[in-house]
Amino acid sequence: MKRIIPVLLLALLGCACSQDPAPFVASDVVVSKPKPGMNMTAGYLTLSNNASQPIVITHVASPQFESVELHESVIEDGMARMYPLGDLTILAKSSVVFQPGGKHLMLMRPVGEFDTVSLDFYAGEAVVLTVNVALSD
Amino acid sequence: MGPRNIFIASVAVIAIALGTWLSFKVASPPPVPQVATVLPVAGELPEFSLLDHNGDPVGRDVFKGHWDLVFFGFTHCPDICPLTLQVLNSAKNQLAADGFTPLPRIVLVSVDPERDTPESLAQYVAYFGDDNLGITGDLAELLKLTNGLGIFFEKTASDDENYSVDHSAVVLVINPDGQFQALFSAPHEIENFVHDLPIIMSRQ
Repeated sequence: MKRIIPVLLLALLGCACSQDPAPFVASDVVVSKPKPGMNMTAGYLTLSNNASQPIVITHVASPQFESVELHESVIEDGMARMYPLGDLTILAKSSVVFQPGGKHLMLMRPVGEFDTVSLDFYAGEAVVLTVNVALSD
Repeated sequence: MGPRNIFIASVAVIAIALGTWLSFKVASPPPVPQVATVLPVAGELPEFSLLDHNGDPVGRDVFKGHWDLVFFGFTHCPDICPLTLQVLNSAKNQLAADGFTPLPRIVLVSVDPERDTPESLAQYVAYFGDDNLGITGDLAELLKLTNGLGIFFEKTASDDENYSVDHSAVVLVINPDGQFQALFSAPHEIENFVHDLPIIMSRQ
């Protein structure tokens, strides 16, 4: 019986661990095909930090685009403006939503032909998340 | 029932019908726009000389003969401009599905004539539906149109070709006489256009 209890505990812990969400995930990812004649497009998604520490996204890169920037569109006094986001802090147990008319990824200068986009999210030098998504119309 | 009673009954029915109609008329004021601002007096557009998306010269007369929804944006705008044009196209499709006619035309006036050629505008506006119009051209001529309509735009500081342009987010409604009739302020929602446009367009 003494041997069985530790085994059961380990099994229970294993179950608990397998149900924990990944520490940093993306959902509802949408990257539209560049509009006809255009060399840029926008990407939208929700970034969720399930960890107990904040995470700071410093930049995003993609093999399919020469440049990826984090931007935010705002309407101020009737004017549509776009600002670079800079470092993006996602607090512990929080999410940040990128959606039309707000925060978005600006993907510029596509490289070649492709149907799927890979996005690498960096915290400093480290890639903390890679997302692959099919281009949508 | 004798002829006299039939006459009295007929008069009573007509009186009731008339009363009901009048009470309905008095109790139901004409619908009003819920979001759009309608100008008390439609304004004349300034003279200008620009190019349409086919490269043909256009002036203010290009707005005559149509109801136009005019947005000032640019093709290198990744978010607000395609979002707005999609909203306008969806609203137009909804009006068409409702059987509403005439359908307004969607017009994109470029506030980035440096990069927006007629060719690039032609591809861009066609993406957001049929019969759309793109306008671009000389900056000084563009300013005649925008200044006359209270539209502002400003190129943002940048050290490369990937600059952005801040711009008014309003959608103007131009009537078939080529006059500035109404405006929708941002943020833009499909249902606001579907509700307000028939009211605005029926008033002229």
